[in-house]
Amino acid sequence: MSLKPPTEPDPRRFEVSKGTLFLDRAMTQLIRVGGLMVILAVFGIFFFCRKELLPRCPGSEGEAGGLLETPGGAARVLGVDEWGEKPFLYRGGAEVVFIDIESGEREVVPVPSLEEVEVTAASYDPVHHRVAVGLADGRVGSFVVSYGTEFDEEGGRKIIPSVEAEPWFEVGVGEGPVKSLSYGDGGSNRVFVVAREQGVAVLRLGQKRALIGKPKLTLLGTDDLSDDVAADVVAVVASQNGQAVLVSGDDGKVRYFLERGGSLELTQTFEPFEGEPPVRMDYLFGGVSVAMTGDGGGQKIFSLFRPEGSSERLFGETKAFPPVGEGTPVFATSLRNKSFLTGAGGRLSVRHLTSGATRWEGEAEFEPVAVTIDGKTEHFFIAGEQGQVQRFELDDPHPEAGWRAFFGKVWYEGGEGPVFQWQSTGGSDDFEPKLSLIPLIIGSLKGTFYALLFSVPVALLAAVFSASFLPQDMKRVVKPAMEIMASLPSVVLGFLAGIWLAPIIEDKMPSILLVCLSLPVSALLIGTIWCRRPIQVRRWLEGGREWIVMLPVVAVVSWAAWSLGPVLEKLVFVYQDPTSGREIADFRLWWPQATGLSFDQRNCVVVGFMMGFAVIPVIFTIAEDSLSNVPKTLTAAAAALGASRWQVVRTIIIPVASPGIFSALMIGFGRAVGETMIMVMATGNTPVTEWNIFSGMRTLSANIAVELPEAAPGSTHYRTLFLGALVLFVLTFTLNSVAEVLRQRLREKNKLV
Amino acid sequence: MTREDFIAIEHFSFFYGEKQALHDIDMAIPERQVTALIGPSGCGKSTLLRNMNRMNDLIEGVSHRGDIRLNGNSLYDPKIEVISLRKRVGMVFQKYNPFAKTVYENVVFSLRVAGRNKKRELDEVVERSLRAAALWDEVKDRLHDSAFGLSGGQQQRLCIARAIANQPEILLMDEPCAALDPTATLKIEALIRELKSQFTIVIVTHNMEQATRCSDRTAFLYMGRLIEYGNTKQVFENPREEETEAYISGRFS
Repeated sequence: MSLKPPTEPDPRRFEVSKGTLFLDRAMTQLIRVGGLMVILAVFGIFFFCRKELLPRCPGSEGEAGGLLETPGGAARVLGVDEWGEKPFLYRGGAEVVFIDIESGEREVVPVPSLEEVEVTAASYDPVHHRVAVGLADGRVGSFVVSYGTEFDEEGGRKIIPSVEAEPWFEVGVGEGPVKSLSYGDGGSNRVFVVAREQGVAVLRLGQKRALIGKPKLTLLGTDDLSDDVAADVVAVVASQNGQAVLVSGDDGKVRYFLERGGSLELTQTFEPFEGEPPVRMDYLFGGVSVAMTGDGGGQKIFSLFRPEGSSERLFGETKAFPPVGEGTPVFATSLRNKSFLTGAGGRLSVRHLTSGATRWEGEAEFEPVAVTIDGKTEHFFIAGEQGQVQRFELDDPHPEAGWRAFFGKVWYEGGEGPVFQWQSTGGSDDFEPKLSLIPLIIGSLKGTFYALLFSVPVALLAAVFSASFLPQDMKRVVKPAMEIMASLPSVVLGFLAGIWLAPIIEDKMPSILLVCLSLPVSALLIGTIWCRRPIQVRRWLEGGREWIVMLPVVAVVSWAAWSLGPVLEKLVFVYQDPTSGREIADFRLWWPQATGLSFDQRNCVVVGFMMGFAVIPVIFTIAEDSLSNVPKTLTAAAAALGASRWQVVRTIIIPVASPGIFSALMIGFGRAVGETMIMVMATGNTPVTEWNIFSGMRTLSANIAVELPEAAPGSTHYRTLFLGALVLFVLTFTLNSVAEVLRQRLREKNKLV
Repeated sequence: MTREDFIAIEHFSFFYGEKQALHDIDMAIPERQVTALIGPSGCGKSTLLRNMNRMNDLIEGVSHRGDIRLNGNSLYDPKIEVISLRKRVGMVFQKYNPFAKTVYENVVFSLRVAGRNKKRELDEVVERSLRAAALWDEVKDRLHDSAFGLSGGQQQRLCIARAIANQPEILLMDEPCAALDPTATLKIEALIRELKSQFTIVIVTHNMEQATRCSDRTAFLYMGRLIEYGNTKQVFENPREEETEAYISGRFS
């Protein structure tokens, strides 16, 4: 027997082909890139939201422009046109000085009616550009500054200022020169409130429509307020609608007079600062709030609202600001939003009424005696003792934004107290957006809570049953069926919930409650009875087929509970009509009467039920997989030790599968928090801050879906919606991170090595 | 007085669906002795073992013919609860499989599921079972540490301690040393000889030496049939059947 010489082995047999190596490296890189892309995408979303949110929101800047000298004394009144290009100074003489801010040129416009009179007081109404003046002889009058525009051939804009005098009125009350005055222009209703050396009076003016020419302003009547005030007047202010007047006296009290039946009546007396009178009172944009500035620099906002139990709107303190500074306070309100400029002794600050925030603070080069803000709130001007005028650029596009406004309780004008409120758009132009995200966060959590309350028990119990009890052949049907449920588009679910389900179950609440109660009870009962049957009986449904007995019983009990719902309603949920005393068996009426909470057709029961269709399959699938993947060696060992099926599940399968079950819950949670279409269509979208199960809610996600198409890009509203998105992102990100840490711990505790 | 047919397997056939795994097995396993089941892979020895506590019921689509009696009681008696049956039979698996619990909780598992929670009783059982499994000295200081901290051999002995904690009558061992090193194997074998005095032990093994070292009786199964069953000494030294001789001399496996 001869051995054949061994064939020469292939010299390349130890080589790895280039293709294999290349593929290996390429795939490694591809996976690495893919992983990085996922991380980048997550952070990309985060940064995009921040970018859309951030441009100075919240935050503002003020920048001082050049100083312009206009010698000739201190200004009594400083005003400006809408664009902030041509401020004017009025010093109390018979001329108004206009200053072109670009060129520094001065233009003096004479006011002939002011010649030969001694002006002792002046006030300015920036809405109508009206300067009201009071004279030493007790007369009061006014003139209006108007800015005309002309366009030259190149399209350049030129502002032509002019001054129009208005008639003089005698103040028939009191004695001495006019100390202070204020003019309230409500169109056909106008008032002069005048404080003289002795006495204080209100002149009511009316416009008489003439057949030809301009309507003529006539004095309708004079109200003597001296007796009501009974103190030396410190400051006066008339409301912009010409119907109310505030007078502060040196006794520290402010008296509020309101027009009623043709004359002004004392309606309220209050003391903003203890014993110390406000030296300035200024109405803010909207005419509902008054900024009171005390002698010591303290500043408080008083707003009109209807206190509980009162039929009248009265003033109450809604905000307190830090002191403005030492010295004579100056004040100017924005004509565009609730911001105002205030300060004293050279300190300036731009504040916002609603949020109570100081938007900008700075130090002027000189002590201003008058300030004003232009129509667009893009510039403000200060005038000094020597006639200096300085323009400041104010860059504050989102004054109403701020952490307080987004996450704190805010006392809105007209409200009874500070509230969390989301109301981003309104019917009128002077509507103030209410941008608290708290109702939306609560809405999101509420929707999620009720959705999970319904779906977690169902999904987890179903997963346990399917993984550990159900025979294989049935599991092969049940599991894919549940997974198909996950593919139902949420818009369809939401549509069904809102249009079909909500009206159906609206008047069936007692039935639903009864079914929710009797279903688990009857299931437990039948289980107890069944396991007490002798083994011979149980044998023929052994191995996960017990549901064949269970199902008809549960079905019958549910049907019975459903039919008994109206009976229960008649017995328990009886509403008593407060006017007629008639008793009506209606859960929808009973719930609000019994609990003080509302009942909506689109409520959490509907949402929870429909969200179940979206959330249950997600939780079920993942939990079922992790329960099924518990090693058979462990379950077999437990079974061999005499543990029953349920004992095996409870002591072995659930602990080992707990990290997986936990992930299932977290993914279900993520799905519920982010779910949009069901929430949009089935919740009613009311931004309420309550946990009532029979009311709706507005979630962060639904809010974005509903409002983003209507929000003007770049507006505060638009950026707030992005903040909502960011909050949602941070919420889920944080929760998922915490959950991941917990999951790792669970896994560590139950790991199988 | 020990019983010769403590486990009486009577014309037992077993099917996985259509496939017949056991053909008409008929044998009697004596009380408090070690009976080894040997045979090539897939011969049905594990199936037979797992039928002695009806663990095969956990698999879908199985059926059987014939009967198995434990101490005179039929396993398939319709009046008998499978769970109570399994409490009479302890089982040790091929791959050690302690639960993700402490050493202590592993041992007392069978008592806990039976609702016995008295601490004194449990403490006693733990010490007795671990001593019986020759593990007490090694783990007495770490009873409340995770069972996964033990070595493979220790984990398998823990599984034995767990199986005997409830004092079953029978101990089934499905290749208990398959995943262990020789030292651990020797310890387990010594343990089996030790435990014989208390339990009726049935052991499935691939290891001929192991069968000769620790069993009193040996049954050789081949293709689902019981080929030969007798005293270990006789089966190994003087097999009656040709297949048995071929197998034990290593001609096929």
